[in-house]
Amino acid sequence: MEIDRQFLKGSISLLLLNLLSRGEMYGYEILQEASRRSANAFALKEGTLYPALHQLEKKGQIKSAWRTAENGRERKYYSLTAKGKKTAREYEKQWQHLTGAIAAVLESK
Amino acid sequence: MRAADELIENIVNLSHLPPGKRRQEIQRELRCHIEDFILAAREAGSDDDEIERLVLANFGDPSQIARGFAWVYRHERRMLRVFVFVLSTVVLASLLSATILAMQAGVAFGFGIPILNVLASRHTAIEALDILSSVAAYVGITSLERLFDGHRFQKATGLLALILAVSIAWCKAVGVSTTFLAFGFVNGFFFRAIRVFITRRIARVGIVVACFALAGFVSSHLRSPVLQYATAVNCASWLAMGAGYQLMTDLAARVDAALFNGLQRVRAGC
Repeated sequence: MEIDRQFLKGSISLLLLNLLSRGEMYGYEILQEASRRSANAFALKEGTLYPALHQLEKKGQIKSAWRTAENGRERKYYSLTAKGKKTAREYEKQWQHLTGAIAAVLESK
Repeated sequence: MRAADELIENIVNLSHLPPGKRRQEIQRELRCHIEDFILAAREAGSDDDEIERLVLANFGDPSQIARGFAWVYRHERRMLRVFVFVLSTVVLASLLSATILAMQAGVAFGFGIPILNVLASRHTAIEALDILSSVAAYVGITSLERLFDGHRFQKATGLLALILAVSIAWCKAVGVSTTFLAFGFVNGFFFRAIRVFITRRIARVGIVVACFALAGFVSSHLRSPVLQYATAVNCASWLAMGAGYQLMTDLAARVDAALFNGLQRVRAGC
């Protein structure tokens, strides 16, 4: 099922912070991982990922470093900062609270 | 792959990120991503035409991505623009003050008036202030025009008028004269308007000569209506001023671009 862009827009920070909380990743890897974990539900347009990553980096929630991978290819790896870890936990709590509340409304008769 | 290169170029150009380290970094990152995608697509058995189509389809709308980057780095761009505006204004105003005062000193010399009477006077200080505010208004309009997509001159002028109104209110509150601000705005607006709406240079020069000669004539007659000699001196002085401002319209964009690119190179080197 295709997810409305507006839904995704609000949750992209949570999604990225959560993925990066599992370890450092580069852009292409983040997309692959998001797609794999969501059973292809999160088919983001690839280019739109980068402004979101740069925004998080600007907020100091993630940091980046260029490194050469084992196959010799250069990649920019992103990882969470301490502030990012804290934000990820907060976002997760808020998300669970919100989805719980929305589910309660949707299921109410 | 040409399509991918064009796509990346398109994104960074539309994002209005100034040339330099940041822009190069984004290009490099997007290129790496597309190379990863191409490798994966080749392994999956796609041919080059198919891969090219997939890259464009999967990457998303370049203008939307560019807007995303522009939003992220908006404060940096604004700060840089304000800094370049201040620097351009100071450089141009200094250059113009020197040029106009040199021309007016030449006029004074030609009419047999002691040069020191012209240069070492209150008139010189007032004129320097007028030049500064005119240059600030002109460069201000050209800088503000960058914020808009359509009707740029009109919107930039409107915004500058608003800034001017606030500045005048503040000056009045602290008891500072505002004449030079109003003169600068009208002058800057006049020169920008003829630059935007009149395409032929000779026509622009003609308008400036006519308007400044008339302004010299009127201002002279307001002070001493009977002295033809004083009128001629005043008209020549105003024409020198007009020539200086005309020079400003030719130099402003070049000075602005040179300072902007220079600062970018300095930042990239840091």
